[in-house]
Amino acid sequence: MLGVVLGAPIAQAQEPAPARAEVAPAPEQQSQPAATPQTLPPDHVVHVAEGTPAPPASTAIPPTTPARHGFLEALVPEIHGFVSQGFLWSTDNNYLAHSERGTFEFTEVGINFTNQLTDRLRVGMQLFMRDLGPIGNYKPQFDWAYLDYRFFDWFGIRAGRTKIPFGLYNEVNDIDAARVPVLLPQSVYPTGNRDMLLAQTGGEVYGDIPLGPVGSVEYRAYGGTIYMDETDVATNIEVPFVVGGRVMWQTPLDGLRLGGTLQSVRMDFDTELDPATLAALVAAGVVPPDSDNFVHFQFPVTLWVASVEYAAHDLLLAAEYSQWDASLSADLPEIFAPYHVTNERFYVMASFRAASWFSPGAYYSYLAPDLADRSGVDGELHDVAVTARYDINDHWLVKLEGHYMHGTADLNPDLNDGVPAAALAPDWGLFLIKTTAYF
Amino acid sequence: MLRAGETACLANATGICPIRRRHVVLAALVSLCLVIASDLRAAEASFVLIVHVSTPERELDRAFVADAFLKKRTRWPDGQVVRPVDQRRDSAVRRHFTADVLKRSVEAVRNYWQQRIFSGRDVPPPEVEGDAGVIRYVQENPGAIGYVMAAPTAPGVRAVGLK
Repeated sequence: MLGVVLGAPIAQAQEPAPARAEVAPAPEQQSQPAATPQTLPPDHVVHVAEGTPAPPASTAIPPTTPARHGFLEALVPEIHGFVSQGFLWSTDNNYLAHSERGTFEFTEVGINFTNQLTDRLRVGMQLFMRDLGPIGNYKPQFDWAYLDYRFFDWFGIRAGRTKIPFGLYNEVNDIDAARVPVLLPQSVYPTGNRDMLLAQTGGEVYGDIPLGPVGSVEYRAYGGTIYMDETDVATNIEVPFVVGGRVMWQTPLDGLRLGGTLQSVRMDFDTELDPATLAALVAAGVVPPDSDNFVHFQFPVTLWVASVEYAAHDLLLAAEYSQWDASLSADLPEIFAPYHVTNERFYVMASFRAASWFSPGAYYSYLAPDLADRSGVDGELHDVAVTARYDINDHWLVKLEGHYMHGTADLNPDLNDGVPAAALAPDWGLFLIKTTAYF
Repeated sequence: MLRAGETACLANATGICPIRRRHVVLAALVSLCLVIASDLRAAEASFVLIVHVSTPERELDRAFVADAFLKKRTRWPDGQVVRPVDQRRDSAVRRHFTADVLKRSVEAVRNYWQQRIFSGRDVPPPEVEGDAGVIRYVQENPGAIGYVMAAPTAPGVRAVGLK
């Protein structure tokens, strides 16, 4: 998070149905006794061919999936899952993983269980693990786990660990089956920020308010904390708060929605000074002799994003503009001067389902880590991506994607042998192949 | 011997003379109109909405039906739970219903549900086999709503209009 924001490396159960079914009475006969039973094969199906005349009005009843109303049935959860394996290769510069040599360090696995306990109460959890370069390392974690009570369509409450509704697609940032590109535009949905942006532990209120002829508004407001693992640089990490909200207006034009998201989060952490540095600071009188060797930092970030999406029939158009405003302050300002920076991030994206099995797409994504200074090769990152999704069947897909990159703003020196971003190749390409099985 | 119009054709890189090209364009437009008209006719006449007989509504707003099948609306005006039921993804009637009411393709709706499923928001309506499966589901579940090819005559279900 710090690196990305600051641009610096600081840190239904099937029930057997009877083969016999009754032919129902005509509408005008509904109050009268049922017609004489007729026998139909157990696998009877009403086949409908496009453009063919409608079949006779009376229809027999074949085996079906009954509603899950019984208590025991209600205890059986819905289970869904996915497994993804990708390959990355870049012409220059290591991106997300050691991509320059080509890497299979791009794996995602998730499984979820959800259950509608009552008409209003729902519970669920998803276990997720990934490996993407230095991220994840196959460590399983709860992606989300919550209780959801929906009082009305316009007001519900979720408690637990919930996905953060940042922008249009943050909640599905790691769900390959739910989008066309392999990588969502990394300016607005940086994969490296998954721990900071994807989920929070606390509460959320949500609802959908119909507005009659002018559409409807969906709102979500949340607050809580985020649990993060320590890094080499940051220890004792705490997030005293994360609060935010998203409002999406579903316009009267089918498929067009406009919205905005605002989030504020503060991360507190410590960085340990090496003994020699501490001794030098004590000798210089900067810190008292009895001080510990930790410097305490506060890192508040305010993020907002404006979103527009048009999704109708097989076409998807989306654009988002975002700014992230971050500050960093330490209890040792003599050594660590306060720092403030504002990022600029936006993208435009299009995809089209040309056939049920083939969806091409493309996007342009832009990132400037410091609005006030875009100079240098590391001052910006332009990303032009083209992608193709092949749905082999309902549960298996393959994607191919190519990126032309100009700039090195989002590159991690740690992945590039310590070479600073400003010294990396300014023009480079990234290619990805990914396959996902899901159910 | 070449005539004047054909001489012009020789100079045309497309290989189709201007007069013939107009005919081709005209024919293509007419064909397109026929295809669209045929699709519209098929879509208009391709499904009938049915509800459980206890549901008092006689006519439903298209936006309400769309929201019900996307689970954005979960209650009928009288407070009863809406229980939408879908037909199989490869059925023509579902394709027509989805295009006409949800204004998306079946695949786009599936994508919508993938997003909902894996972000922990909700799961899609149950899928049943054919008209008869829908009719049975609606019969058995107060608050249920589904779509079929032909107006049903079964007890416990009622066709409703779409506005």
